[in-house]
Amino acid sequence: MASGNGYSGKILKVDLTTGKFETILTEKYKSWGGGHGIGSALFFDLCEDKTIKGTDPGNVVTIMASPLSGTLAPSVAGRCEVQGIGIQAYPIGWFTRSNFGGRFSTQLKFAGWDGIVLMGKSPKQVWLNIINGEVKLQDATDLWGLNTRETQEEIWASVEPSKKDNDWTNLGQSRDSGRTTQRPAVLTTGPNAERFGPMAALIHDAGNGAGQGGFGGVFASKNLKAVSVLGTGGVAIADPKALMAARLWSNSYSFAGHHDDPAEYVGLTSFGSTPGKPLAPMQDTPEGVKSRPQGCVGCIRSCRGRTDTGQGNESQCVDFFWYDAHDVKAHGKITDAAPRATDAIQLSGVNAFAVEAATLWLEQLYNKGILGKGKAIDSNLPFDKFGSGEWAEAFINCIITQTDIGKELCKGVAQAALAWGRLEIDTTSGILPLQEWGLPQHYDARTEVEWGYGSLMGERDINEHDFNWHVYWTPTIAGLFGVEPAVSAQRLAEIFAKKMIPYNDPMAINYSDEGIYSESMAKTVAWHRHYTRFYKQAMGFCDWGWADFVNPYGPEHEGMTSVGENKFINAVIGGNMTFAEGMEVGRRIWNLDRAIWILQGRHRDIEKFTEYNYTTGAQPGMTTYEAPYTMPVFENNEWSYKSVAGRILDRQKSEDWKTLFFKVEGWDVKSGWPTRETLEKLDLANVADALEKAGKLGASA
Amino acid sequence: MVDKNINPTEEAASADQKGTLSRRQFLTGFGLLGGGLALGGLVGGAFLLPDQVVAIQASDGYLLVDTKKCAGCTSCMMACSLTHHGETNMSLSRIQITQDPFGKFPDDISIAQCRQCPYPSCVEACPTGAMHVDKATGVRTVDADKCVGCERCVNACPFTPSRTLWNFEEKHSQKCDLCKDTPFWDEDGGPDGKRACEEVCSMGAIKFTKELPVQSEDGYEADLRTGTVWDTLGFDGAPKSGGHLG
Ligand code: SF4
Ligand code: SF4
Ligand code: SF4
Repeated sequence: MASGNGYSGKILKVDLTTGKFETILTEKYKSWGGGHGIGSALFFDLCEDKTIKGTDPGNVVTIMASPLSGTLAPSVAGRCEVQGIGIQAYPIGWFTRSNFGGRFSTQLKFAGWDGIVLMGKSPKQVWLNIINGEVKLQDATDLWGLNTRETQEEIWASVEPSKKDNDWTNLGQSRDSGRTTQRPAVLTTGPNAERFGPMAALIHDAGNGAGQGGFGGVFASKNLKAVSVLGTGGVAIADPKALMAARLWSNSYSFAGHHDDPAEYVGLTSFGSTPGKPLAPMQDTPEGVKSRPQGCVGCIRSCRGRTDTGQGNESQCVDFFWYDAHDVKAHGKITDAAPRATDAIQLSGVNAFAVEAATLWLEQLYNKGILGKGKAIDSNLPFDKFGSGEWAEAFINCIITQTDIGKELCKGVAQAALAWGRLEIDTTSGILPLQEWGLPQHYDARTEVEWGYGSLMGERDINEHDFNWHVYWTPTIAGLFGVEPAVSAQRLAEIFAKKMIPYNDPMAINYSDEGIYSESMAKTVAWHRHYTRFYKQAMGFCDWGWADFVNPYGPEHEGMTSVGENKFINAVIGGNMTFAEGMEVGRRIWNLDRAIWILQGRHRDIEKFTEYNYTTGAQPGMTTYEAPYTMPVFENNEWSYKSVAGRILDRQKSEDWKTLFFKVEGWDVKSGWPTRETLEKLDLANVADALEKAGKLGASA
Repeated sequence: MVDKNINPTEEAASADQKGTLSRRQFLTGFGLLGGGLALGGLVGGAFLLPDQVVAIQASDGYLLVDTKKCAGCTSCMMACSLTHHGETNMSLSRIQITQDPFGKFPDDISIAQCRQCPYPSCVEACPTGAMHVDKATGVRTVDADKCVGCERCVNACPFTPSRTLWNFEEKHSQKCDLCKDTPFWDEDGGPDGKRACEEVCSMGAIKFTKELPVQSEDGYEADLRTGTVWDTLGFDGAPKSGGHLG
């Protein structure tokens, strides 16, 4: 029988330098929940010098599952968290995180591990092979130049040499050493990823990627090509009956329980979404291509697809978006250029967001005559065929082979702009929308401030859609269709206020010109940081299923959030954790992360958006999402939905907002550094000591 | 309890060499004579007709699966092991989903569920009557206490992967019992109750039926899509696409 409740009980520590393995007992870190919480705590304890670069052998990388991985918690079980010092952000590669789905975290749990810690640097190219409790570092010389699919197929064949079709494979010598019909779950880098590190993602199966941070490059810098894991054990559940009951209860909030009466809902939601719809366009494939919905382990949402051409398998959203609009512009419809472009990044292990921003920018430079054959930025890429599959493949190829403009782009988008002398000019005009920390704008900081502020106070594009579906997409889409959103702005504010424990602020989602600088918005951003740190990144609740604020099937459109999450956590782990208690663990994790950034050099003085955010409104074609940006506002004592597109941020008001935010967090308003009092309340006295020693402890008010 | 750490078939072979035979080995060896010699009472659920033909009671129900609807989430596998064993463990699931992430729809996914065969080779192969037909429901299932661990049922199932599986944690064979015996679930299972895999499948890719389904080489012929909400989802047909919003 599996032991423990939710936890496998051990974490695998791999010293790549010496080739030695150690076991860390999870028990010591359980107060951090799992995933990101344990990852941050391990990093804090094990990374001796946190000011090093991400490619330094001293960098510590954690790959963490959650206690809910490999369980029936819906749209939770398949997520996996990767952390360490990143190499993508500019000018500092912050301690950062990325996250991917699929089956890796599940197999890790079934193999008996809650996570993996990678330390040091291997003297030769290796891959890590985990089969239940048996762990080996194997030679990767022959895998090093292979793409992500080739690598995985080679590893599958090597781990299960006797596997026939879908048959059972016995792992090990004894008949009781475990059997499985499943393939090993492999997390891999693209070919020679150390050469395009800041652009390099980690890829698992066909379409799961940990894209942000450049962790593909960090792996490669450690001479590590891939990690493979296969397990035949199980995850013990504290209260199996409660878990089954909770799962079936959640069906009533999802398409799963409504095949006979699917919701008619204009807009985007999370848990209540129909598989593939209304996000079907995100599986951009040419007309006539057939597909199935496809989901990570345990998902009720199944947001991706697999096609009858095999193109675009398991990809969605920005995996397609980086090129689909260019395909449509060139051909009037989706052709196979979009899925070819998608497969190009998945097979090469290149970060989709980075190439999306780069492509929009390069097109501008080409149109302005700055880039092209014999131009200031010389390039032989076939720009006359921009929008074709050929261009997309040539572009990705130039990055991974460091040829043509790939010679600079392989170092990152901001770094290439710097090398070409365009960083300042193009991030001032906004044609290169690197919103904060040299990272591509995703949602607009000027309009949807919780996204922008969250990214700025943190270290990366947050990529958390908790608010986004409801405060931006739904009213915007409803507006485009000329219908009233199903939920009024006032009701929306009520739902958010009710669920945003402990603040419960009725003005939480006021995106008016005043609201975005208010104390309410400071609490909203703090709530979001704490919620996602614990529930999403530590426990694994998927960004596309959770938070469940507005749900087309819920009573008066109210989703499961603040009730649902802990039903699953408590059924799996046991105990009776309240939603508020989970939020406190999130606050604790967030403070630890903040402390690590401070040790790396963070100060409020450098927490500023790129120039264009203070000087220009969103320009159509320059950013990813330039729809009307209709949002809930409270003006003249009334809630309404209103387009706030074109807004620019006021420099001083943004600074004043930061002060409000630091007050809400209990941090020194002058520096943005946590105080001893705040840290000790979170049982982080050792972190306060470390900050004090570095001369970076916030002064108490 | 017998020692199930060792496969008795292998042990029987070595015992033969030594010229000794235990009761368990006798039973094991008896099974080797083949299914034609089935005895009432030894093979549960089978009964002897006057003309010596063995007739086996049909199952009261069957699991239909439509692999084209399946999203590969493996929730059914986790629900199966959770309700039967109190843990989520794919290796103990009586329904197996296998897939190739790089494969082409619809051949990228297979669902292997027990067919509750009219003439179940697994039941026939069992030397002790552990694998039997449940009298009340017709379900082909294992009495774990009687299982000696010879794995003949596992090897006898004509399908790949075998629908009978070796529970290497508890050391007995097991197979789909249509959730008749689910100690870790509040619901009643079995043909007249609910099935865990069917209940959790968010795609509706698994459906219970009381009618004996039409079979082909590949499995039951099941289309659980046509005439359902699936028709409007855009799957199994191109999703309408034309770039993203905005
Ligand atoms: S639960 Fe349904 S969709 Fe998921 S793997 Fe099983 S049959 Fe397929
Ligand atoms: S285990 Fe195999 S032989 Fe036995 S009833 Fe099921 S499908 Fe038929
Ligand atoms: S019906 Fe029950 S026993 Fe059979 S595969 Fe489904 S969950 Fe398992």
